[in-house]
Amino acid sequence: MSLWLAGLALLLVKIGLVLFVVLTGAAYLVLAERKLLARFQLRLGPNRAGPLGIWQPLADALKLLMKEDTVPAGADRPLFLAAPAMSAATAMLIFAVVPFGDSLTIAGRPVPLVVADVSVGLLFVLALSSIGVYGVVLGGWASNSSFSLLGAIRGGAQMISYELPLALSLAPVVMLAGSFSLVDIVSAQAGCPFIVKQPAAFLIFCVSALAESKRLPFDLPEAENELMAGYHTEYSGMRFGLYFVGEYVNMIALGCLVAVFFLGGWRGPLLPPFVWLMLKAALVPLVLIWVRATLPRLRFDQLMHSSWKVLTPLALANILVTGGLMAALG
Amino acid sequence: MLPEMVKLRRKGEELLEDGLGLLRPFATTLGMLFTRPITVQYPEEKRVLPARSRGRIILTRSPDGDERCVACFLCSAACPVSCISMEAATREDGRRYASWFRINFGRCIFCGLCEEACPTLAIQLTPDYEFSKATIMELVYEKPALLVDHGGKDPDYDFYRHAGVTEKGEKGSHVNEQEPVDVKRLLP
Amino acid sequence: MSRKPEEASCRLTIDGREIVVAADTPVIDAAERLGIMIPRFCYHPALGAVGACRMCAVKFLDGPVKGLQMSCMVGARDGMVVSTTNPEAVDFRRQVVEWLMANHPHDCPVCDEGGHCLLQDETISGGHALRRYRGPKRTYRDQDLGPFVAHEMNRCIHCYRCARFYQEVAGGRDYGVLSIARRTYFGRYEGGRLESPFAGNIIDLCPTGTLTDKPSRYRARRWDLERGPSVCLHCSLGCGLTVGARYREVMKLEARLNPEVNGHFICDRGRYGFGYESRPDRPRQPRVDGRETIAGAALAALAEGLKPFEAGKVAMVGGTRSNLETLAALLGLCRDQGWRPPVFFRDARLAGAAESAAAALSGDLVASLADVGRADVILVVCADPLAEAPMLALSLRRAARRGAAVLVLDHRPCDLPCEAERLTFAPQELAGCLSRLAHAALRGRKEAAAYLSSLPLPPDLLPETALALDTWGKRLAEARFPLVVCGTDQAEPTLPALAGGLARLLAGSHDQDRRAGFLPLLPGPNGLAAALAGGGDLEALLADIEDGRATALLVVESDLLSRTPEPERWLAALRKLKLLAVCDHLPSPLLEAAHVVLPSRTVFEAGGHFVNQEGRLQRAMPVFSPGLPMGRTLREGHPPRLFMSCAPGSEPRPAADWLKDLAGLLGAGGRAGDWADLAAAFPGLPGLAAGPAPENGRRCLPETAPGADAPSVAKTGSPDVPPDHLQVLLVERTFGTEELSCRAPLLAASAPEPWVDLAAADAGKAGLAHGAWLLVPLPGGPLRARLRVHQDMAPGLLLLPRDPRLLWQRLAGTGVLVELLRLHAITAEEEPAGEDTTLEAEP
Ligand code: SF4
Ligand code: SF4
Ligand code: SF4
Ligand code: SF4
Ligand code: FES
Repeated sequence: MSLWLAGLALLLVKIGLVLFVVLTGAAYLVLAERKLLARFQLRLGPNRAGPLGIWQPLADALKLLMKEDTVPAGADRPLFLAAPAMSAATAMLIFAVVPFGDSLTIAGRPVPLVVADVSVGLLFVLALSSIGVYGVVLGGWASNSSFSLLGAIRGGAQMISYELPLALSLAPVVMLAGSFSLVDIVSAQAGCPFIVKQPAAFLIFCVSALAESKRLPFDLPEAENELMAGYHTEYSGMRFGLYFVGEYVNMIALGCLVAVFFLGGWRGPLLPPFVWLMLKAALVPLVLIWVRATLPRLRFDQLMHSSWKVLTPLALANILVTGGLMAALG
Repeated sequence: MLPEMVKLRRKGEELLEDGLGLLRPFATTLGMLFTRPITVQYPEEKRVLPARSRGRIILTRSPDGDERCVACFLCSAACPVSCISMEAATREDGRRYASWFRINFGRCIFCGLCEEACPTLAIQLTPDYEFSKATIMELVYEKPALLVDHGGKDPDYDFYRHAGVTEKGEKGSHVNEQEPVDVKRLLP
Repeated sequence: MSRKPEEASCRLTIDGREIVVAADTPVIDAAERLGIMIPRFCYHPALGAVGACRMCAVKFLDGPVKGLQMSCMVGARDGMVVSTTNPEAVDFRRQVVEWLMANHPHDCPVCDEGGHCLLQDETISGGHALRRYRGPKRTYRDQDLGPFVAHEMNRCIHCYRCARFYQEVAGGRDYGVLSIARRTYFGRYEGGRLESPFAGNIIDLCPTGTLTDKPSRYRARRWDLERGPSVCLHCSLGCGLTVGARYREVMKLEARLNPEVNGHFICDRGRYGFGYESRPDRPRQPRVDGRETIAGAALAALAEGLKPFEAGKVAMVGGTRSNLETLAALLGLCRDQGWRPPVFFRDARLAGAAESAAAALSGDLVASLADVGRADVILVVCADPLAEAPMLALSLRRAARRGAAVLVLDHRPCDLPCEAERLTFAPQELAGCLSRLAHAALRGRKEAAAYLSSLPLPPDLLPETALALDTWGKRLAEARFPLVVCGTDQAEPTLPALAGGLARLLAGSHDQDRRAGFLPLLPGPNGLAAALAGGGDLEALLADIEDGRATALLVVESDLLSRTPEPERWLAALRKLKLLAVCDHLPSPLLEAAHVVLPSRTVFEAGGHFVNQEGRLQRAMPVFSPGLPMGRTLREGHPPRLFMSCAPGSEPRPAADWLKDLAGLLGAGGRAGDWADLAAAFPGLPGLAAGPAPENGRRCLPETAPGADAPSVAKTGSPDVPPDHLQVLLVERTFGTEELSCRAPLLAASAPEPWVDLAAADAGKAGLAHGAWLLVPLPGGPLRARLRVHQDMAPGLLLLPRDPRLLWQRLAGTGVLVELLRLHAITAEEEPAGEDTTLEAEP
């Protein structure tokens, strides 16, 4: 009984820690993005709230919290209220299966540094990213606005299209690791990270994940100059904030996943595992910001073309090649 | 070389070019990251704007110190957001003027079309942009607040010296006018 | 050899498109019908072509005429091929406009024409965007042309439109073209007020800013005006107007083309008869017992106040200046509540005359103003066109210029802008004279026997007048299109029926395609509808109030106290009333006496339908919503900085709405108040059933009048006028007397000084000279006025205008006689003795 209680307490502590780290990370990622984007564009970026603008995320959060929460007339109220939460929650849930390090030993008991070591962790991640579509589609649908609806339709189409290459690109990883568990995948990279063995899968995964995150150059669902703000046009205050947080949490999650699947997770010399993971995970958001500062938005047909005619066949071929090689090399 | 080979090679070159085209911008933006930002720290630092920048609007005066505006309604007609209103009236000396003239700066988009439309050079935009207000009603400017005592960018022009009406000087006394016709003269 | 109509039409090609028009239609008109607007300055459909401006040049490529020609001067012919876009023509027009602009001043910003200036339009469309001529410009000195027309001669392009209108169309003599060559000048010999009562039209006609509207000078641009089609309410003709309002105030009225009514023009009474809508003393707030209140409370108080009365003791007075909607609501209210039928006319004589005129009208006989211009012999009986319906005078002139004979049978010195033959008789003799004329015209006509036998006996006439009447009769009988005009303002009740009967029999006297017309003049813009609705008259009502047979009175848009010759008696009677409610938009002493005041909207704010003297249903549109003019709400010199849902002073409601709501409160069972109800209220106008009026109106009279073939005409007796006595007749003038326009500040301020008229014979007897100041002893006190002596006026009459600037209400009764020798001349300064009644004083 007490064991069970201790386990629960441990779990809660782990969840709390992860959420704290992730949310703070997301908040400062916002600041980092604004600062970096500004510098890419020869501006200074936020520099008024605190030295170098470090309180800017706090100010933004306060502002969002204090804004009026409006629900448009004719909106589907329950859906409208729930959709942003769905978007943020799916992003955060990914961290449940990300291993932050090897297991610690506390009071003589091994404590794995992962909230839940699920045996089908990878499938769980894919499932979450599929559920993430609902946040977009339902939010856009429930707003009762043509811009939102168009954004939602684009979002739905885009995310479903890219889920395919995303999942297929991970098949070789599973094949190499021989497990769906993220912990096992990390363990399998003890020798050499998968990016070396699977460069093609890495590329496909990165592009597809970028598309899943709906960021430039794939931000068609919220293309400002066509759709005002796409599926979240009608949202204000903290509900808009949830979509916003969701996007940035997603970016970090993406970073973690790339680290876990291809960069060897928490493994690394000298530094403690958690720091290694964070360093690797930070790489992806920084690149995403750079991409955003550099590339223009795709056309919708180009978007579809690259998914169905380039990435998906490539991912399939990659599976065949990996399988063939594995069979050949025993 | 076989034609297929040529084709293939061309294809390869194209692909390379495309790939480079995708990557080169990254270098450019990366370069920007290490370039000095151009941001000016307003309000600590202020830029001196060119004389023709479009900010707060004024009503100027002709060289003789009289109001230039003749309440011709051209600016209010030109204004795309209809933020100029006025009422025309006749002064005791017969001069046409605006008895009141109002610009709602809460609505003005500083497009400068009013200035372009004004035939008397009365209405002019100035480089002053620092006039935000705490309440929106304060942005509704009336004539006394708009009228200045100089000629703005065109200090020398005086519409009434060129017009044919007698508000300033008798017929025939304006710029480029002949003596009035003597209707009752009998010579052919 | 007569040409068949199809031979008279021809087919021509303009810019590659074919059109069939009547031969000799100016090519410029034919093009306009195709939607091709050829530039023009001097051509105007109502003035015709003179070829003065050279702006309408087009190229004739094929057909009977070839080369560059003025399209206004060339009549359409078969086979013409015209190009308006030919480079030669375009270049020619561009040069013309550049010549015209060479001397044009740099005035547009301060020119009131700017924004609707034909010269601006043609300059820009002609491609002359930059001035090349830099030399000195020609200038002219301007003239003061009176209170209505501003003159800025520098801007003139010498198109002659103004002079052609003023002299040819309006018959004015004091304005025209002076000098020659580059000195050509349009103006008067000396500055001064334009004399023609149609002078305002030159403002509309002038294609430049040379002649502009003085009252609205420097006030607004055309594009800022709230504009809408309306109808003139200053006489029964119902000329078309375009209202231009800005900031809750009428800026100016312009003529609106209505081909069958006024054509392109209107008179100055119509053009400047506005301003009553923005008078400072206009009632704008509902009042109960002198206290201001809100609409609902005032209505409730009125409904409550009306409850205790026996239905038969409640009387309503309506006005002929109300719209049809109001009249219908009024009639409905009286009918549903069982009240006394509404009263519209000031006395039994006028009511009788209006009703008999209305009864004589029918669709097959009634003539429009345009018909007047088509007639060849026009008999005007007991009507002073310039005073009672000014635009009729313009139509008479048009007819006269086409060779028609205008025969005037009246007692007044009717001034007409055209050649006319005149016979003057005392008003009570007119019926007899008409009878003699009718006998001459219809002699030997079997179908006329009944009519002729019903006529009164002719008075004793001098042989030459009798002969003249007989000749007139014969000329009418021989005319191709005879037309009878009959007034009602001064007429005996039987006279309009008599005149209408004559017209009807003239129509039937020859072969089938001969027609005749009847054009009565009715009191007020809705006089016909009021006359058809019947009802009593104010004199009878007054007697009833005095006797206590009517104890509650509702007055709707009728100014009875300032229009009655017996104000004292009315005031006393009003005091006897237990309830007096007034619904009006004009300030009047009646409002002070009223227990309940309901402010109504003017025609500019309420719009509405009006039926003119020919039974034409016309519609005025509401042009702006009521409220204090912006100029009167200024604070610290500018409009208040407020957001408000309605303007101050916006309480007035359409009179019809007040009445409908009152009916609702009185439990009339929620009448729909829709068009069908309105149509049902006027069975005499069956055409109403077809719905609201189309753009140029629609005739609503029945095709034939019931019992029209045998008009029964009662014989009238003439009042006994003792020798050396003068009958005082209240008359209308062009300016200053009509009910609405005399409240128009512009006209009130500028109408000519009022005068009284006397026949030369009487003046001679009394030793009075033309232009003298006269002291007229009236029962209510003496009256001071300038005298005009006329040769062509019936003796035994003193004509007194109902001008509020005169103390005419001292007449204190109808049928007043004054002794000729008690009139005497005074010096201008001498004040009339006797107490001043406050009633006549007009601000
Ligand atoms: S600047 Fe543009 S918006 Fe502002 S007043 Fe002038 S015309 Fe209007
Ligand atoms: S355009 Fe110029 S002159 Fe005309 S009203 Fe405006 S400010 Fe006055
Ligand atoms: S007449 Fe026409 S063109 Fe001439 S100044 Fe006036 S608006 Fe301008
Ligand atoms: S005053 Fe006007 S209408 Fe008359 S000639 Fe000149 S431009 Fe024509
Ligand atoms: S319009 Fe034809 S010449 Fe003037």
